[in-house]
Amino acid sequence: MASTPQQINIADLDIQQLAEVRRQLEEELNHLTNSFAQLKQAQSKFKQCVDNVQEVKPKNTGTTILVPLTNSLYVPGKLSDPEYVIVDVGTGYYVKKTRDEARKYYSSKVEYIRSNLESLSETIQKKQENVNYLINVMQTKIGEQTQSPAQASKSNP
Amino acid sequence: MEALQEASAGYQKLQTDLAILVDKRARLEAQLSENEMVKKEFANLTANNTIYKSIGPVLVPQDQNEAKGNVETRLEFIRGEMKRVESLIKETEQQTEKKRTELVVIQTNVRQSQLQNPPA
Repeated sequence: MASTPQQINIADLDIQQLAEVRRQLEEELNHLTNSFAQLKQAQSKFKQCVDNVQEVKPKNTGTTILVPLTNSLYVPGKLSDPEYVIVDVGTGYYVKKTRDEARKYYSSKVEYIRSNLESLSETIQKKQENVNYLINVMQTKIGEQTQSPAQASKSNP
Repeated sequence: MEALQEASAGYQKLQTDLAILVDKRARLEAQLSENEMVKKEFANLTANNTIYKSIGPVLVPQDQNEAKGNVETRLEFIRGEMKRVESLIKETEQQTEKKRTELVVIQTNVRQSQLQNPPA
């Protein structure tokens, strides 16, 4: 939690400390991959919105649609206004937009998330490299200790 | 030994406090970015784009300027909160740092006295 102010070479740490660092890193990595999955989900939702908005077109005016009242209850309805849709822009605000505006809005959202995903995947990769490096160091240390337990116990009082 | 217990309890309390504050800041950050997104969205609206505000399950049409003003005040409020939490975090971090050195000193003392008078 609290960050250590000075830089520490991980080769100087003993196995227990390394395990602690590894646990921390893995926690961070987990958190990041979770965020990644969530962003992916959000992105696919917005993509769906783009597709859906395209279906609300003048050609479909008056077509019967099923309006979901709950997850399992639908009532038939008719598409009366093919020009405008109402978009949730967050924090409880909704904006009436033309179809084209809505499509642009959702596309820009998808694009925004894509750029976020890119930087996030970069971070994840770096973290993964860190973890791998750490595991490597740990393994060498463990190997050293098992090979010469007497020396190791002397050098690590 | 008692001093050690006390110090470590204090240290732990500070750590939980810090965790709560960090959590709070993360939440504020999320709110801030959401509101900023809405503000950006509002900035390039035309007069045709009616704004609705959801009040419970109903959408109520709202004046564009009013909505913009609302978001602006919210942003200001959140920024203020951020500043407050930020300074609290700094303070708690400093306290934690102090407690940690305190703890280390006590631990070394205890260890040394154990070395000098090893328990039989």
